[in-house]
Amino acid sequence: MSEPKDRRAAVTGIGVVAPNGTSTDTFWKATQEGVSVLDRVTREGCEHLPLKVAGEVRAFDPAATIEERFLVQTDRFTHYAMAAADLALDDARLRQADTPDAPYSIGVVTAAGSGGGEFGQRELQRLWGKGSRFVGPYQSIAWFYAASTGQVSIRRGFKGPCSVVASDEAGGLDALAHAARAVRRGTDVIVAGSTEAPLAPYSVVCQLGYEELSREADPSRAYRPFTDAACGFVPAEGGAMLVVEAAGTARERGAEVRAVVAGHGATFTGASRWERSREGLAQAIRRALREADCAPEEVDVVFADALGVPEADRAEALALADALGRHGTRVPVTAPKTGTGRGYCAAPVLDTAAAVLAMEHGLIPPTPNVFDVCHDLDLVTGRARVAEVRTALVLSRGLMGSNSALVLRHGAAQ
Amino acid sequence: MPQITVEELAALMKKAAGVTVSPQQLQDKPDTGFDVLGVDSLGLLGIVGELENAHGTPMPVDAERCKTPQQFLNLVNTTLMAGA
Repeated sequence: MSEPKDRRAAVTGIGVVAPNGTSTDTFWKATQEGVSVLDRVTREGCEHLPLKVAGEVRAFDPAATIEERFLVQTDRFTHYAMAAADLALDDARLRQADTPDAPYSIGVVTAAGSGGGEFGQRELQRLWGKGSRFVGPYQSIAWFYAASTGQVSIRRGFKGPCSVVASDEAGGLDALAHAARAVRRGTDVIVAGSTEAPLAPYSVVCQLGYEELSREADPSRAYRPFTDAACGFVPAEGGAMLVVEAAGTARERGAEVRAVVAGHGATFTGASRWERSREGLAQAIRRALREADCAPEEVDVVFADALGVPEADRAEALALADALGRHGTRVPVTAPKTGTGRGYCAAPVLDTAAAVLAMEHGLIPPTPNVFDVCHDLDLVTGRARVAEVRTALVLSRGLMGSNSALVLRHGAAQ
Repeated sequence: MPQITVEELAALMKKAAGVTVSPQQLQDKPDTGFDVLGVDSLGLLGIVGELENAHGTPMPVDAERCKTPQQFLNLVNTTLMAGA
């Protein structure tokens, strides 16, 4: 079958609503400077809980950008998604009418791990406090993992293929891979990514059962993967949406191909079985490289999962050595999420956004709060490192056992 | 039992569906569809629920199927009248 159009999956727009920036520019500035915004949890009703440090999105007013009728029917995680999608589409200079078969040529894919906990808690409190007649009808959709995909597509009038990936934290990468597949199969544009809002009391209580959650109260010590001081991970909210588009469509409308989603691999090795994640992650990396037709030596930077649990950090370092050989100990590795926290499914999407920006700026952002690395890795710490980055590898693991790897190629390298 | 006014309906549309519409607008153009105004089916269901809680009386199932504020006010006020 001949297909004249270049259907490689290009990244043409990035929209970020993150703890360290509510625009792509501010996010990148804070990320490349290695600023840490981890801080004490201030969200109402969370102050007394044993989770002390998180990455909160503080500089975001949903009412400034989102219509009230969408706000009343959605949770905070969907507010972030709608705002990030707007930013990504603006960044890509893409309006609904800009593709040949609009609006059917634009779809939405998101991943969600936490769902709409804040909205859900409010309605459940009405249920048990006042009775079932006081639960609002939007509870039926607002808490649900699929809410952000649905609301972004409704609000922007996109009628192309829409889906939701529920595959643990690594789902953030799986969503981007799913978007890339949809583009290769014939959809011109997919708005893809993940945003999360796990910092409401109910949601925090749900996370307290995770052994991997950091209880450290000092923001500068709470999340330090790959060190002897590793004591778990710090959760975060916010996330990113990307415009994933057929390279040919982008070129036709004069948009820049900023990066190409070139390869993806996903495996499963069981919940909290971190030692076994070594094999799962290595296999995911091999698959992603194979799909991208990429030799290990071509990888210029690795955005690590960096869980912050000693056993998991060791498994990740060994997986890199297993999959990349000697290059695994020489390639620059970074984990900017130590400055923002880990936003579950959103974390690897923010890493992907940072990877595209790193390729564009020739700059590998550092890993805040991390010094004295105790694994055989070239972890970028302190300040950003100047480097020509043509190929980036982004890794993610979920607490429930999913492992994913995504290979990105710089647009100019194509 | 008191009747539902356009003022009350406008306030409920704002609260339950996030739609801002003036009572005057509802008065002047009562046949403008809920869909045009931006109230979807779940929004209307929420408005019905608020009314039931406020007045302590169930509304007919058809209330949530009304297409316009006019239809809705007629049905709801007939129901409240009968229950008075």
